[in-house]
Order: sequence, then C-alpha cells, then structure tokens
Amino acid sequence: MTLLRAQVSAARPRRRASFARIERPLIGVLAVAAFLAAWQIVGSREIIRSDLISYPSEIVATFIEMSRSGELGANVTVTLIEFVEGFIPACLFGVAAGLALALSRRLRYLVAPLFAALYSAPMIAFVPVIVVWFGVGRESKITMVFLAAVIPIIINTAAGVNEVSEAWIRAVRAFGAGRRQIIAKAILPGAFPAVMAGIRLGIGRSIVSLVAAEMYVSIFGIGRLIQVYSNSGKAAPIFVLVGIISTFGLVCVNALRTLEARLAPWRGGR
Amino acid sequence: MSDAAATEGAGKSARRRTTDRRERLLLGALGIILLFGAWQLAADWGLLNPTIGSSPTLIARAFVAQWQSGDLLADLRVSMGEFAAGFLLALVVGVALGIAMGMSRILEYAVDPFIWFLYSSPLIALYPVIVVWLGFGTTTVIAVSFLLTVVSVVVNTLAGVRSVEPMLVRAVRAFGGGRRAIITKVILPASVPLIAAGARIGLGRALLGVVLGEMFSSNAGLGFRISYYAGRLRTADVFVALLLLIAIGLATDKVFKHIEARLQRWRPR
Repeated sequence: MTLLRAQVSAARPRRRASFARIERPLIGVLAVAAFLAAWQIVGSREIIRSDLISYPSEIVATFIEMSRSGELGANVTVTLIEFVEGFIPACLFGVAAGLALALSRRLRYLVAPLFAALYSAPMIAFVPVIVVWFGVGRESKITMVFLAAVIPIIINTAAGVNEVSEAWIRAVRAFGAGRRQIIAKAILPGAFPAVMAGIRLGIGRSIVSLVAAEMYVSIFGIGRLIQVYSNSGKAAPIFVLVGIISTFGLVCVNALRTLEARLAPWRGGR
Repeated sequence: MSDAAATEGAGKSARRRTTDRRERLLLGALGIILLFGAWQLAADWGLLNPTIGSSPTLIARAFVAQWQSGDLLADLRVSMGEFAAGFLLALVVGVALGIAMGMSRILEYAVDPFIWFLYSSPLIALYPVIVVWLGFGTTTVIAVSFLLTVVSVVVNTLAGVRSVEPMLVRAVRAFGGGRRAIITKVILPASVPLIAAGARIGLGRALLGVVLGEMFSSNAGLGFRISYYAGRLRTADVFVALLLLIAIGLATDKVFKHIEARLQRWRPR
C-alpha cells in the first residue's frame, strides 16, 4: 500500500515538499470546516427544520447541558465498564484459543465451519437471544462484547501463528528452546501484528454490538440514552451520543496503536 | 520454495491436498454434528430449558411451521430486497466516488475525513435521526445498509485506483484517449480486484445494516422477526431466522469469493 502510494506520487511532477506535506490535512480541515459552517447556517436559520438536522452550536450546547445534569457521565461509565468487562476476557481467551487452533490442525478443521458462520453472520442478530439467555441487565451486554470481539481475535491469532516463519522457529529450536520457549520467543512475537489486527477489528465490532444491545433493551448506558432521546423528536442529543461513541472508538484504536508501538518497538513504531 | 521443487512435488502434494481436503470436510461436518447433537441431548435430558434454549428439533419444527404459513418467505423477500437495494446502491455510489477521489487529489483529501467518520462511527446509533428523515420502514433500512456498506467500497476502490500503473494511463493518453477512455480502459479493469474485495467486505456490512435497520426501525423482515419472536420467548422461531441469516451471510460470501476469483483470471500472474 505505502509502496504503491510512493510509486504513484513519484510519477507525479515534483512539487515543493513543504506544501505537499500540509496539503492533505489542510484540505481535510477546510472541507470539514465548510461542512460544519453550512450545517450551522442551514440548521440555525431553519432553512431545514432544526429538530430534523440540528446544528453544530446546538449540539455543543446540548452536550454541555447533558454532561452538567450528570446523565451523560453516569451512562457513559456504565457502557465503559461493560465494554472493559467483555473485551479484556475476549482478548485473553481469544489469543489462547487462537494459539490452540493454530497448533492443532484437527481442532482447527473441527471448528472452522462454526467460526466461519459466526464470523460472517451479523452479530447484532444474536442480541435478542443473548438477552433471553442472560437477562436485560449488564450480563447480556458483557456477553455481546465478548462474543463480538473474540471471534476476529481467535481467527487472526490462528492465522498469524500459522504465518510465523519456519526459520524463526528453527532458529529458536537450534538454540535449545523447548516448546514453551518456542511459543514465547518465536510464535507470539511473530504473530503479534496479526493478533493486534484482530483486536482492532474486535474493538469496532464489539462497540457496535454493545450499543445495539443497549438499544435493544437495557436499564443504563449510551444505547439506552439513544432510545430515550429517540422519542424526544430532537436530533441534537442523538448527535451528541453518536459523537461520544465515535470518540470512544477512536480513542480505543489509537490507544491500541500506542500500545502496539510500545510492546513491539522492533516493528519501527508503525 | 523454488519453482523446480514446486513442480517436482506437484503430483505428491496434489494427492496430499485432496486427503487434507477430505479431512477438513469430515472434521468440519463432525464439528457441526457434535454441536447440534450436544444441543439436542442437553434439551432432551432436561439440562436446558427448551423454552429458553430451544433445541434442533424444535427449530426444525418451527421452520416447517413458518414455511407453511408463508411468513418465512415474506420475511425473506423483504430482507433480501433491502439487502440487494442497499448493497447495489452502495456499490454504484462507492465505485463512482472512489474513482473520482482517486483521480482528484483535492476531492480525495476533502472527502477523506467524512469517510473516516462514517467508518468509525456506530451508524446504527443515528437511526432515530434517519427514521425522522426517511420514515419507519424499508427506506430507512436500505439507508442504514447503504451507509454501512458504501465506506468499504469507497476505501477499496480508492486503493484500487491508486494501484493503477501510471504508465498505462500515460499510454492511453498518448494514443489520444480522453478521461473516459482512461477510466473504462485502464482504471476500472485495474481496480477490479480491490473493488471486488471491498464489495465482499461490504456484503457482510450490508447484511448487518439490514438486520440493524429491521430490528430498530421496521416491522417486517428477518431482523424484525428475531426481535419480535424473542420478545414473545419463541426461541425456536428466533433461531429459524438467525440460522437463515447465517446461511445467507455464508452463501453470499461464497458466491462473491467465486466471482472475485473469476474476475482475477485474466490477469497475468
């Protein structure tokens, strides 16, 4: 990908490097600013009814009001805790299960169709069943997070381990490593990027599943707030909540990237 | 592996591959049988409350009942129609936008932040707003499905256009080809593999969009049925719709994988 980009840009006429570097963010920021300005004008002047589309300053005001009243903080906390309680076990179990699948071909064949089914099925369709099984409370949300995250983590870990170069394993073995050391010194570091890719996929899937599960039925949480405000006939609170969820997803993915660079400095901090 | 070794070992490895394939199929089938068998036994022995846990025979019976009453076909028709509409719309718009972005750097940089927002935001949370705009029902479901799908098509098409050999574009131009010739003769054919990959990712997202849309803002279709039956504790009926959705997801993915491979065939390796 980067190679292709480099090729394409090399073919372009060379321009001043300093401008080329800021061109992308500059145009991006300008476009977003233009969009927000147009939205503000169209909404606040009621060119389109503002309860349908709202407008940026109203959204900001709504955000401040909702956080002052405390409803935002309380519900965001509930959702966050549900996410963590489902996601951390999913990472641990997913990596372990992926490792087991990679080491045993038979086991892999045995579960392959089931995993393919779970992977290609829309996770959200499981929400009602999970609610019937685990109740309307937080248990069903935690289960959804776990289920949505664990599958890509398992699949990516297994694929990553399988792609670890034979040469690495042979080299570690040549220095007298046992099975355990082979796993720790060659297989896990080799599979690391794939594991991280799986976790990243899991973040997106599990956030959507969590919000949808809360929207389906719940007592607290961001999804619950969305349902509450969906009856208010106003768009602004919905945009606030969507913004919060998006921000949460972005923070998670960026935190993961930082963690990845910290844990695997040999990969050049990419 | 060197080429010589590869051809030499081809006969042996082909045989090994077929036994491996047989093993894979057998074990895969065994896995499914084990799961459903254990499920059935757990229900029969009373380890599982059949109202909540259902069982394969109960699901089969529910399937037959839904089939005979015509409910199943009606729901299937609604869902598949929305699925096709959302997906095809996203494919057309996504490819057009992706190519336009690939050909104009300014457009690419300008649209990029919006694409990333769409990609990273949980679109389903926007459904109350979309319902207010488009009303309750099919249009909203198609819109949710479209929005979820279009991003992966755009991103992949853009990557496809980026992968075009600039030399080929220059060749067409040298022979007097205009913008249109460049798009139809070079850019589209060259980006087909990546477009197909994006479309395959999009398939899953389109189906997800349909289920999401139907669960929260419709009163027809498989997604709606799942939440409807679950609310009445008709677990077996829920599983009929759920298994059907899984089957649709798997089948469309298989078909598309096939198409993807076929589209690649003309390419020199």
